[in-house]
Amino acid sequence: MDIAYFFKILPHFISALPITLIVIFFSQLFGLLLSIAVTYIQIKSIKVLTPLAHLYISFVRSTPILLQLLLIYYGLPVLLSLFGININFWSKTAFSIVTLVLHNGGFLSEVLRPAYLAVEQGQHEAADSLGFTSFQKLRRIIIPQLLPIALPGLGNGLIYLIHDTSILFVIGVVDVMGVASNLVSSSYGTDQIEVYLAVAFVYWAVTYLSDKGVKRLEKITERYHLENGLKS
Amino acid sequence: MLALKNIRKSFNGTDVLKGISLKVNEGDVVTLIGPSGTGKTTLLRCVNFLEKPDEGEVQFSNFQLNYSHAKKKEILRLRRKSAMVFQQYHLFKNKTAIENVMEAQIVVQKKTKKEAYENSLELLNKVGLVEKKDYYPSQLSGGQQQRISIARALAIKPEILLFDEPTSALDPELVGEVLNVIDQIARTGATILLVTHEMSFAQSISTKVVFMDHGEIVEEGPPSQIFNHSNRLRTKEFLKHFTNNYQKTTSL
Ligand SMILES: Nc1ncnc2c1ncn2[C@@H]1O[C@H](COP(=O)(O)OP(=O)(O)O)[C@@H](O)[C@H]1O
Ligand SMILES: [Mg+2]
Repeated sequence: MDIAYFFKILPHFISALPITLIVIFFSQLFGLLLSIAVTYIQIKSIKVLTPLAHLYISFVRSTPILLQLLLIYYGLPVLLSLFGININFWSKTAFSIVTLVLHNGGFLSEVLRPAYLAVEQGQHEAADSLGFTSFQKLRRIIIPQLLPIALPGLGNGLIYLIHDTSILFVIGVVDVMGVASNLVSSSYGTDQIEVYLAVAFVYWAVTYLSDKGVKRLEKITERYHLENGLKS
Repeated sequence: MLALKNIRKSFNGTDVLKGISLKVNEGDVVTLIGPSGTGKTTLLRCVNFLEKPDEGEVQFSNFQLNYSHAKKKEILRLRRKSAMVFQQYHLFKNKTAIENVMEAQIVVQKKTKKEAYENSLELLNKVGLVEKKDYYPSQLSGGQQQRISIARALAIKPEILLFDEPTSALDPELVGEVLNVIDQIARTGATILLVTHEMSFAQSISTKVVFMDHGEIVEEGPPSQIFNHSNRLRTKEFLKHFTNNYQKTTSL
């Protein structure tokens, strides 16, 4: 174990960190939006789309993320070219984000849907009876109540997402893990331990910070005292 | 004023409301009584479209709606003219007592926060709970929650207040405080449609009593007629059953 080497290569990873962070940010953002759409389709039992949503979630949850990445990277351009759409100029990062968005969207909808259903029907009815529009009801009553239920699950989803970025080097993305794989192959496999330890530290730090952020949000939503108190 | 015309509703092929017509004049307190499963709750829920009737019309002083082809906008308008007090209160759990009362004033009626706050203080005073204004529902007793929910309903100044067994979920010692509040509101001239099993309360507060059975109105009239001089067998049977029950429990 060569400590000096460890510190020498650490800056390489820091400079690749923006790519990893960009992938995480957009995958989380659009994954969450996709999961909201999927949850909406399921809750409203929209014809045709609901069985498709079930199929999609089942596929995403039942196949390895690595396989999903390869299918998107090799398969999506072929599929879209059938419709005359050319995406061959897309960067590898773009394919990575698409994969993670699709993956994340399926997983997070399995967090959001039960959280939505956990809000009592009476809360909906009270808002309806006072003449709230559906949007007003969602924003003022339902979302504030489902958030504290959903946040731990969403936080876990974020951790999984961060860790899932570690497979993107397989298609040649030069993120933190990509740098590691390049270093290892250029040193003919002599410094693996230092390299992978450094990567571990980077992932550790990123996960730690994002986890802190989620915990902070949880604190904020805790003030609603949603637990049942005195009985009638 | 509220007039319901020929309201029909079925669940999975079972007719629950078989063409109900009912009139509630301004300032009236109309009480629906009748056996469990008769459709009283369903009728109330139809008035503010928590349930969609299969057929029928509803009429307010300056508004009319045919249930079979109601548009979204009309449904919102209908709901803003009536306010429901639920058996299980259903206070917004993420809001304090006063925020519960303010909420619809701000969101639906677009009042300023300040205006809504002052109104709400007044309403909380009316139901005797000003000192609990910053409590969350989970920190209040059932009776207190129900009184807050009455204040919440009053806050939108509805043309009619709908009460669905407002005391049925309460421990007996908390029933009185809620009935007192309802009584007091009735005295201020509010228009009320009420479902209750508190027969003596119904007798004292109502201007009209409606006896329902099997999805139909069997008989309606002033409380003295229904409770003391009914000549309808089904009404008498129902009320007899009630007083019998009452005697049984009190003789224990
Ligand atoms: N959402 C529903 N789905 C199916 N059946 C229902 C529903 N709501 C009410 N019912 C049925 O309609 C009938 C009338 O119910 P309800 O209006 O609650 O009666 P009440 O309030 O007079 O006790 C009952 O038989 C009940 O089971
Ligand atoms: Mg009922």
